Amino acid sequence: MNKNRFSASRLKADLNASWAIAKKDMRIYYIKPGTLMFGVLFPLFMFLSFAVGKNAPAATLIPGLISITILFSASSIGPMVIPTERRVKTFERLLSAPISFYSIILGKTLGGFLFSLAIGVIPLFIGLIWFGTQIISLLGLILGLALPAFCFATLGIMFASFPTENPGDIMMLLNIVRLPLIFISGLYIPIESLPDWGQVVAMFSPLTYANDLVRYALEGRTNYGPALDSIVLLLFTAAFLFIGVRLDKKFRK
Amino acid sequence: MNNAIESINLTKYYDDLLAVDHINFEVKKGEIFGFLGPNGAGKTTTIRMLTSLTKPSEGTAKIFGHNIQSETLDAKRYVGIVPEISNVYDDLSAWDNLMFTGELYQVRKAEREKRAKELLEMFGLYDRRNDKTKGFSKGMKRRLTISMGLINNPQLLFLDEPTSGLDVQSALIIKDVVRELNQKGVTIFLTTHNIEEANVTCDRVAIINKGKIAAIDTPEKLKKTIQSVQSVEVAFDNASPKIMKELENISLVNEVRKEGDKFRLYTHDPTSVLEGLWEYAKTNNLKPISLNTLGPSLEDVFVRLTGMNVKAERRNFDE
Repeated sequence: MNKNRFSASRLKADLNASWAIAKKDMRIYYIKPGTLMFGVLFPLFMFLSFAVGKNAPAATLIPGLISITILFSASSIGPMVIPTERRVKTFERLLSAPISFYSIILGKTLGGFLFSLAIGVIPLFIGLIWFGTQIISLLGLILGLALPAFCFATLGIMFASFPTENPGDIMMLLNIVRLPLIFISGLYIPIESLPDWGQVVAMFSPLTYANDLVRYALEGRTNYGPALDSIVLLLFTAAFLFIGVRLDKKFRK
Repeated sequence: MNNAIESINLTKYYDDLLAVDHINFEVKKGEIFGFLGPNGAGKTTTIRMLTSLTKPSEGTAKIFGHNIQSETLDAKRYVGIVPEISNVYDDLSAWDNLMFTGELYQVRKAEREKRAKELLEMFGLYDRRNDKTKGFSKGMKRRLTISMGLINNPQLLFLDEPTSGLDVQSALIIKDVVRELNQKGVTIFLTTHNIEEANVTCDRVAIINKGKIAAIDTPEKLKKTIQSVQSVEVAFDNASPKIMKELENISLVNEVRKEGDKFRLYTHDPTSVLEGLWEYAKTNNLKPISLNTLGPSLEDVFVRLTGMNVKAERRNFDE
């Protein structure tokens, strides 16, 4: 009989462990050069290289900057932390503790989530203070920051399931996905201006819905509506988590 | 329930490679149990299965009666693990490493602070508790790793090569603590390459070779199984290492090994070898400064059971 069953005390223990893992990751990895490079500087320069020189008011660029910052910062933590911990064998310390694997995954996801929230509010404040950005929907803004942050953190965790001890290997794979996402998700070219096939492709990008949600919160404009954006982001999150756990089981013999 | 560990047909395949082959053994509560074997014999894979880091391909094991597959978390709760590599967080202080591990094992704050203080004092690290461990020596990191393995007051401690490559001070502290823990009733599962360490530390040892348990018993009983391997150990005051070949020619000597400034002559008849050795010394004008007859060591048992032939391996290496 399998006794690895769910109970309230076990859930509490797992949540406490997740929080301990997230706190530890924040202390150790947030100020590592690799994290700052891929999580902060990379999205900023990527955005500036495409936005500078465009004839658009600065305020209209802020939602895109927030989305791209959240994408890169949230998805960078897992791929930085997990391979590094594999290399120095501290990941085994987590795996051998009396906590569920989901607790470890949640802890690692929380690390990316909180990091990207902290980084994602910077362009928001810049917009609010200097460029006249306005908050049209506070709930939309909270959802537009939190749901993409969680979703992209699980995207990073999913890629980090590949059994390597080198963060660069994961970052390379991840960038093969992240870089095309920023061109097909309506950040630089509005979805409605894309050709038909482009609009279809955009529907398969979680960044499309993240950007749509932030645009709704700050400009009141939306293609899909905040409810659908939120639901699709949650579905992407569940899919990334599911695939990540399956990949980990497959690779960790 | 008298067993801390019960391995039942525990088996692990890595694709087609059979790393651990249906092994069965028990470790009794309160024992120091040595797990010996050459590199690649299956020691680490066995530990990884017992600590739920790797899933068995077949069979299972119980930790204090809890099945490692169906009651994984309950089984893990009893256990402290000290892996071969000291896996501490270099960017955290010694204190924070212990606090984090305590949180993972759900040790309450007041209890983990009390326990951390005790452990750091026990391992001589309390004065360095606030220093980041990246500045620690190998021995200090090893001591901290063991402290982290003990933060949850485990009833069973897995120690993988605890003193390998350490300075004398760290090795002595660790040996003392292991003995002390065992006296308090903690079961120790020890893997080591240092066979003499296993000989003087362990209540029982298992020797694993090519994924199978080759023998399992107390060190003294294992030695009795190869009484035919006895030896005469001699040191001369002015001998050159070149005399090894000549010593091998003494009647009834099977093999000669040089051990430091001593020569060890293996035989099944030490009395006859002593006579031959005396003749040889007189003829060659050599003065023996120490002479001992020795029974088989645990290392001899290990060599016999694992089929390790040091000379043959060295020859292969040279070629």
